Amino acid sequence: MATQQLPPSGAKTPAKLVATRGRAEAKEARSGRLFVAPFLIMFTVVFLIPMIVAIRQSFFTKKAAGGGLFGGGEAVDVFVGLENYAAVVTDTRFWAGIGRVVGYAAFQIPVMILMALALALVLDSFLTRHVTIYRLGFFLPYAVPGIVAAMVWMYMYTPEISPIVKGLSALGLDVNFMGENMILLSMANMTTWTFTGYNMLIFLAALQAIPHDLYEAARLDGATGFQVTTKIKVPMVRGAALLTVLLSIIGTIQLFNEPTVMATVNPWMGNDYTPMMMAYNTMLGQISPGGDGPASAISIVMALIAGGLAVVYALLQRKKD
Amino acid sequence: MRHNKAGLLTRSIGLAAVGVLALSACSGGGTPEKAPEKETGTPTESAAPQEPVNISYMHRLPDGDGMTKISELADQWNKENPNIQVTATKFDGASAEMLKKLETDINANVGTCLAQLGYAEVPEMFAKGLAVDVSEFADQYKSNFEGTSELMRVGDAVVGLPQDTGPLVYYYNKAEFEALGLTVPTTTDEFIEQAKKSAEAGKYIVAFQPDEVPNWLSGQAAAAGSSWYNPVNDEWVVTVTDEGSERAAAFWQELLDSKATAVHERWGESFGKALNDGEVIGTIGAAWEAPLLADNMAGTANEGQWAVAQLPDFGAGALTGPDGGSGVAVLKGCEFPEQAMEFNNWLNTQVDALATQGLVVATSVGVPSTPEAISAFYGGQDVLAELGEANKRLSPNFSYMPYFSTIHDPMKKAASAAADGTGKVAEIFTAAQEQSIKSLKDAGLPVAE
Repeated sequence: MATQQLPPSGAKTPAKLVATRGRAEAKEARSGRLFVAPFLIMFTVVFLIPMIVAIRQSFFTKKAAGGGLFGGGEAVDVFVGLENYAAVVTDTRFWAGIGRVVGYAAFQIPVMILMALALALVLDSFLTRHVTIYRLGFFLPYAVPGIVAAMVWMYMYTPEISPIVKGLSALGLDVNFMGENMILLSMANMTTWTFTGYNMLIFLAALQAIPHDLYEAARLDGATGFQVTTKIKVPMVRGAALLTVLLSIIGTIQLFNEPTVMATVNPWMGNDYTPMMMAYNTMLGQISPGGDGPASAISIVMALIAGGLAVVYALLQRKKD
Repeated sequence: MRHNKAGLLTRSIGLAAVGVLALSACSGGGTPEKAPEKETGTPTESAAPQEPVNISYMHRLPDGDGMTKISELADQWNKENPNIQVTATKFDGASAEMLKKLETDINANVGTCLAQLGYAEVPEMFAKGLAVDVSEFADQYKSNFEGTSELMRVGDAVVGLPQDTGPLVYYYNKAEFEALGLTVPTTTDEFIEQAKKSAEAGKYIVAFQPDEVPNWLSGQAAAAGSSWYNPVNDEWVVTVTDEGSERAAAFWQELLDSKATAVHERWGESFGKALNDGEVIGTIGAAWEAPLLADNMAGTANEGQWAVAQLPDFGAGALTGPDGGSGVAVLKGCEFPEQAMEFNNWLNTQVDALATQGLVVATSVGVPSTPEAISAFYGGQDVLAELGEANKRLSPNFSYMPYFSTIHDPMKKAASAAADGTGKVAEIFTAAQEQSIKSLKDAGLPVAE
């Protein structure tokens, strides 16, 4: 039996077919590249190049070059190898900052994720009408730029002018939101307010992707609404939960806006309250004269830590599954 | 308004703008100048160029309502000097951010020619190789800046001309003082005595300001006779914990211990509220505070009640210290330093225009008339004349080291501890001493220990 089928008459010969397909593929590839080009260009300009520059910078420190009291009015970038990295990892201020951030994350992330999940479940349930309004309402805080949100909250925390502090004090509760023991909680509240809606959207999208046949089947089997939620909905959004927690870890490790604004009226917090503040203020020359080199080293160490934490979390999560 | 004086809001917005700035710095934002090509002609040829030269200038003056805007001044200059065209750019944000922008721009060869630098920042900018020596063009203008031209000197180099000064003075509520039977203190002992008397009546004649200590308290140490950074045998000898600092520390420790002073962050909301409520009826502040305080208390019972007096004697005679103030420096890459200095001199001698910006001018060519709004708040007092007197009392011995800004944070933290009683005022100076030595070493500058 002939294994090869002859092409029907009138059809293109294989050679012709390949040629046409080749042209079509080339055309497709060309337009594909065109579509990808803006991304690639922006990715290179705002991401890749700065990253390479930062890595290069992290091996240099500005040092006086010309001699004399003012270095002869000359400073050059001197290659110092891993000195900047050594300075970061041996700096107690850096680790104190990490400690604050980790403590903050351990408390804030679970609270926020659980709230986001709860809100998403409520919105997803058939009980709620006008989902769009609620969805928009919960998401709205995220639309407020982080620095503006931090400033609004700072005014609400300032004892002398805050209606909240006054209200609580009228109830006999004296709360100092700016106190050294309270300030991490106060900032956790800001972050939770901003990002709960954002995480809720991710959960909501995952919930709405669940096939409704499952609910129907469960109901036929006699499952209650509560059982549907705990036995079907929650397990089905595990992927979304992983995503939100990962994003939160990466976001929290970069804690910057909230403490920076709070530090403007609480100088005891200092320039190095969180590692990202330390990186930024080092870059501005407010912490060490070395400038960009030491600042880049801090940023890169932070990137490694954030990446490490994310990997650890993902692995743990996979193991659990 | 020199260092960080833009107020909380602008400062925070400045922070938000940093990302944008970083981008614009990359893309060559700011005022583009021709790429600096080496002048092939002799200096005399470049002194009289055929084509108009372009000078760019960056400042962070307030440019508020009712003030003579710096860009208007530049327009006026451009009309009168067709050969030297100046473009003025206002930078919105904190001083540290502006310095970073200048540095980044200069390294990318798109830096401005002239820029406003705080006096405490001048040595740092020079050590970084960003401000250049223009003493050959500066000497001819020296007579316009009697006693203040040294402020822009770094060792043997002069990097520009001074614009305004920030001598510390004492602001107080005259009416409250009369009501409480207080006298304006002329020595620190009298000050403490009056402060205790006033505290008994539930009012404070001064506020300790932890967020403001780096320049504020160093200025007071200067008033007490301190000289922190001394060049000896081509090495820095750091003496932050000297006798003057000890006197200033003892003064505040006594006030804090006896609860005779209020404690407020200068740039938080609480200080303004305490002023408005009449809880704080006096403050030690820089000359540039005059319009800010008037602004803080505008429309309250305080109007017309306040007055300005000289800083009390901190133990070194009729001396005061610097708290801020800035000059206009010529930066690296400036193609036409001579013409830039010509404009610099003209700009910094526009006394009335600069006074509208709330500046206490550094020039000696004339005393501006006190703007009406200021004079009205201070009960008709000729405020600028009083501040001019303070200018003359500025300590000649006090100067800053390069990288002075690195000691701000340790000082502020120690000051917060002193304010809430968990630390001592003297520890502010110890912290500054340690960080000073560390920073000089890290920068590769010679320091004696």
